[in-house]
Amino acid sequence: MLNQVRKSALLPEEKAGQWVKSGMTIAIGEPAPMGLLRWIIRNKITDLTVIGSGMALDYLIAGGCVRKVVTYYAGSPDTAVMPAFRSEAENGSLEVWECEEGILTSGLEAAGKGLPFMPWRGGVGTSLPDINADLKVIRDPIGGEVLIAVPAIDIDITLLHASISDSYGNVQHCRGTGWLDMFLYRAADRVIVQVEKIVSNEEIRSKPWETTISNADAIVLSPYGAHPFYSRGYYVQDQEYIQAYLEAIKAAYSKGSRDDKDDYFETHCNRFQSHAEYLDAIGMGHLISLSEY
Amino acid sequence: MSSPATIKELMAVVLSRELEDGDHLQVGVALPVPEVAVRLAHIMHGPNMQLIFLGARMNVHHLESIPLPTFGWDSRSVRWAESYSDRGHRFDQVKAWHKRVFFVGGLQVDKFGNINLIGIGDDPKKLKFRGPASVGTPTLTTHVGRYYIVLNNHTSRVLVSECDYVSAVGWHEGGTDARKKLGIPGGGPKLCVTPLCVMDFTEIEKRMRLVSLHPGVTLDEVKANTGFELVIPDIVPTTLVPTEDELTILRSRVDLSGILRSR
Repeated sequence: MLNQVRKSALLPEEKAGQWVKSGMTIAIGEPAPMGLLRWIIRNKITDLTVIGSGMALDYLIAGGCVRKVVTYYAGSPDTAVMPAFRSEAENGSLEVWECEEGILTSGLEAAGKGLPFMPWRGGVGTSLPDINADLKVIRDPIGGEVLIAVPAIDIDITLLHASISDSYGNVQHCRGTGWLDMFLYRAADRVIVQVEKIVSNEEIRSKPWETTISNADAIVLSPYGAHPFYSRGYYVQDQEYIQAYLEAIKAAYSKGSRDDKDDYFETHCNRFQSHAEYLDAIGMGHLISLSEY
Repeated sequence: MSSPATIKELMAVVLSRELEDGDHLQVGVALPVPEVAVRLAHIMHGPNMQLIFLGARMNVHHLESIPLPTFGWDSRSVRWAESYSDRGHRFDQVKAWHKRVFFVGGLQVDKFGNINLIGIGDDPKKLKFRGPASVGTPTLTTHVGRYYIVLNNHTSRVLVSECDYVSAVGWHEGGTDARKKLGIPGGGPKLCVTPLCVMDFTEIEKRMRLVSLHPGVTLDEVKANTGFELVIPDIVPTTLVPTEDELTILRSRVDLSGILRSR
C-alpha cells in the first residue's frame, strides 16, 4: 500500500553517522559539521578519503580516521601547517592528493555534472601534475592550448553544517554557504546536513529563494554543532579551544606519543555518548560567550 | 612623533604605495603584512579600490577605521562587504582578473619568482617538510594582473636557486615570453618584498633584482642570505621609510591591536 505521508529527513546523529563506513570518500563543508566528525572519531571509522581543509581535516587525521586527503590547504591563520597532517604526510602514512582551489572545484564540478573531467588552467607549468598523476596535461582540441584535465571527484557522503532546515531536508544557510559547500553537495551521492535549528516547512516556503539545498538526504539537529568553529548568525569561533587543540596535537606528535593524542580525544570527544553530552562539558556559559554580535 | 616603524610596518607601507586606485585587491589568510597594506592604501589613496577577503568584496573607504580582524576565520569580518561569493563561484569571473592584485608567500622562491608551498624534500610522498599546500595560488597567480611576493624571512633557505616543487609559476625559466610560452596569461610577479629589501624582476630576463635595502641592511647581508645571484644595480637606494602620516594612519586606523608591531 502506498504510504501517503511525506517522508521526514530528520535523523538522530547516530543514525546519520552510521551511513559513514570505513573506506568511504567523504567531504567536509565549511564551517565543519563537528558534531558528525566527533561521532566518526568516537565510532572508530577508519581509512577514509577526506576532502577538506584546515583544522577540521586535521582533527579527523589526528583522530585516526583518515588514509588519504584531497586538500588545497592544510594551514590556517593560527598555524602554518596543521600538526597531524604535517606529521603523517611526512612519515608517509597519509596519502595527499595534491591540488589547489581551482583544480578541486573543477573536479567537483565534473562530478556534479556527470562528466569524466573538467579542464582548468591554474596549475599549468607547476609541479602539481608531476606530483598528482591523476591530473593530466592535455591539449585543448579547439584552440590547442595546454590545460589540465581534472578527473571527476566523486563523493560518497558530504557532511555540511548549516543554519536551518525543515524536516524534509530543505536547507537554508544564514548569510551564505561555506565557499565549497555547494560544490561538495552536487558532487556527492548523499548529503547529511547538521543544522542549528529545525524550522517549519511554512518558514522555508516564506522565502524559498533562500533555500540552498532542497533535498538533503539527512538532517541532524545539532545546535552549536560547529563548535569550535563559527556558525554564521549564531556564534563565533572558539579561539582558545582551537589553540589548545593545536598545542596538544603538536606536542603529541613531536613526542611521538600515541597516548597523549588518545588522551586528548578521550577528554574532548570519545567519552561523550552524544552531542548533548559534549555541549554539557563545554558548558552553557562558555557557549553563550561565543554568541555572534 | 611615533616610535619608528617596525620592519613589518615598513613592508606594509612599501606595498601600500604600490597599489593604485581602482585595483581589486585580494588577500588570502595568514598574510598580515598585505592585509594591512591594502587597508592602508584604501584609506590613503584608494576610494575606488575593492578589497576581497575570503570571497567577500568590500569598499569601505567611508569608514573611519578598517581594523584587521582579531582572528582569521571571524565570520563577522564580512559584515561590511557589498557582496559575498558564497556559492562557490569564486573562480567564475577569471576574465576580469586583469584588474585584480594578489599577494603570495612561499616556503621557497627562486630567482624567476617561482614559488613553492607544497613542501621540501626529494620524495613527494614523504616530504622532509610538508607545506600547507597551494591554497588558490596556482589559479590566482596564473590570471591576476599582477602580484606581490611577500616573505616573512629572507634567508638562503627561502630564496633558493631552484624550488623543490613549484606551486605558482612566476617567470618560469626567465624571459618576457616565459609565461606566454606556457600559456598562462596573467601579468606575473611584480615585486618581492622581504624583511631585508625590496626586489623586482629585470625587464628582459625577468631575473630578480635588488630595488632598495631597508634602513640598516647592508648589501652583503642580502647577498649572504640569498641562495641565488641577485641582479644588483649600480645604485641601490634605501627603502623610503613610512611618513608620519602613513604610520599614524596604519597604527590608529588599521592595525589597532599592533599585529605588525608585535611580530
